[in-house]
Amino acid sequence: MLPSRTVTARSEVPTSFRSSATRPGPLSLIRIGVAETLARRRLIAYLVRADMKKTGADTLLGNFWWVIDPLLQMLIYYVLIGLILHRGGVDFPLFIVSGILPWKWFDATIKDGIHSVTGQERLIKQIYFPKLVLPVAGAMSGVVSFLFGLIPLFGLMIIAYPSHLSAYVLLIPVIAAVQFLFALSLAIGLGAINVFYRDIGNLSRHAIRFWFYLSPALYGVEEVAKLGSQHALAKTWFEINPWTYLFAAYHAVIFDAKAPEFGSLAVMAAVSIVLIGLAILLFKRLEPTFAKVL
Amino acid sequence: MSTPNVTAEGASPEGRIAINAQDLGIQYNLRLTRKQTLRKSLINRVRGGETAFWALRHATFQLRHGESLGVVGPNGAGKSTLLQLLAGILMPSEGSLEVEGHVSSLLTLGVGFDQELSGTDNIRLGGAFMGLDHRDVEERLPAIVEYADLGDFIDAPIKTYSAGMRARLGFSIATSVQPDILLLDEVLATGDAAFREKSKARVGELVREAKAIVLVTHDMNWVTDYCNRAMLIEQGTIILEGSPEDVVRLHQERSAARREEKLRAGVFSGAKPAARR
Repeated sequence: MLPSRTVTARSEVPTSFRSSATRPGPLSLIRIGVAETLARRRLIAYLVRADMKKTGADTLLGNFWWVIDPLLQMLIYYVLIGLILHRGGVDFPLFIVSGILPWKWFDATIKDGIHSVTGQERLIKQIYFPKLVLPVAGAMSGVVSFLFGLIPLFGLMIIAYPSHLSAYVLLIPVIAAVQFLFALSLAIGLGAINVFYRDIGNLSRHAIRFWFYLSPALYGVEEVAKLGSQHALAKTWFEINPWTYLFAAYHAVIFDAKAPEFGSLAVMAAVSIVLIGLAILLFKRLEPTFAKVL
Repeated sequence: MSTPNVTAEGASPEGRIAINAQDLGIQYNLRLTRKQTLRKSLINRVRGGETAFWALRHATFQLRHGESLGVVGPNGAGKSTLLQLLAGILMPSEGSLEVEGHVSSLLTLGVGFDQELSGTDNIRLGGAFMGLDHRDVEERLPAIVEYADLGDFIDAPIKTYSAGMRARLGFSIATSVQPDILLLDEVLATGDAAFREKSKARVGELVREAKAIVLVTHDMNWVTDYCNRAMLIEQGTIILEGSPEDVVRLHQERSAARREEKLRAGVFSGAKPAARR
């Protein structure tokens, strides 16, 4: 192995000067964070692929679980709400699936994000790399599982509920993109905080479940309006809860075969981008201490 | 004993400076260290008390290309912390550090990147973590695989590897990137005799290729055989920096003195009578 200058593998920072005195400002920190994440696209792709390989490896049915999982969950809610409590209305199974599919994705993204940094403890201590790739890679692998989750959705629609199928389902990626931005901001922020307070992991499990029931996934906008007229607090909650708008949009294009409310989605996308900026800022501020604390 | 093939022209004073550390220090905040929960942090905040700890302080030294620096010292002296600083894993709390050139910073060799993935996939993932261009990694892949010499195991998940096999893979990855500065931490503890010989030869090769090497080890033969400079660190402070022979001698004297002291204090006398040998 003789050194041949032309093919020598290079890391991207050939010369570095590190001093306790240098502290970049908030905007340049965000810019650095975005730039280094984009520069490590390949690493993110590898991490996502590694994640895919692992999820499928240990189980009998492998990645097929991505397809079965939402259907089984739908069955549980259908039995509980539809059959036992006699609620839910016409074609309730499709209504459930159109709610739990995006939520499962959200849930997985947040959980992956929270443990993304702490889970790579050993690597962080033995090699330098931009840690932002960890929550981003976690969020990206969530996208892949969500895409697989669309298989049972369309299967269900074609086989059992063809009357709900319309061209509006083509808008699912638009809604999903807004959801992705929002979830990514939480994944980055919580991933950084969890390094310092491991309580986040425990707390989030319950918080996420509570959030799900407090969002109109299994019930519709009529229920939201009814609750809102009864309690001022409920009204405020549903107004500020991003999932009110996301579930309404998913239900619109999948269940009601109509256009979603683009206005609220646009606002949410804008808010999410600001949140991502703040999350990156928080992450980059805390990043230098990760290797010390872990 | 000195080795003529290592000193060569690499140690000449006109070599470019690879590492320039000025008054380098790193402080740990004990309040934040180790798996904190909110409750513990609140308790600590109320109680107050000693929370700062300097793992390394007032470290000033330079390393030129072609030099090979052996870092010795007792456990917990701050040797690995120094390597983590040089690798960019830790940021200095005090002073400044200038590193010129590409650092290969696979510190605890043999840990691997992902236990579930195969050796080949780990090489790819490792390259991506180290920020290498994937085309370069693909190009080097056959050479790395061959050097690691793992046979069919290269396609098995690395969780099935023995410690020695992991060390081999790690060493192959770390040295294959042709770094300007190579940081090695306790490489030599693992691996069989044959691989140890091979890695020794490779380190010598890298030294001759005018790369800068910082080597943390407890094996004094490595320091005297393969380093042209050495440094003794104790309790976060550089005690002595100079020729490997001098540093090793001082280190051995001081360790012997410490052992004597502990024996007299009766730390080992009851529990470990064998320590005497």
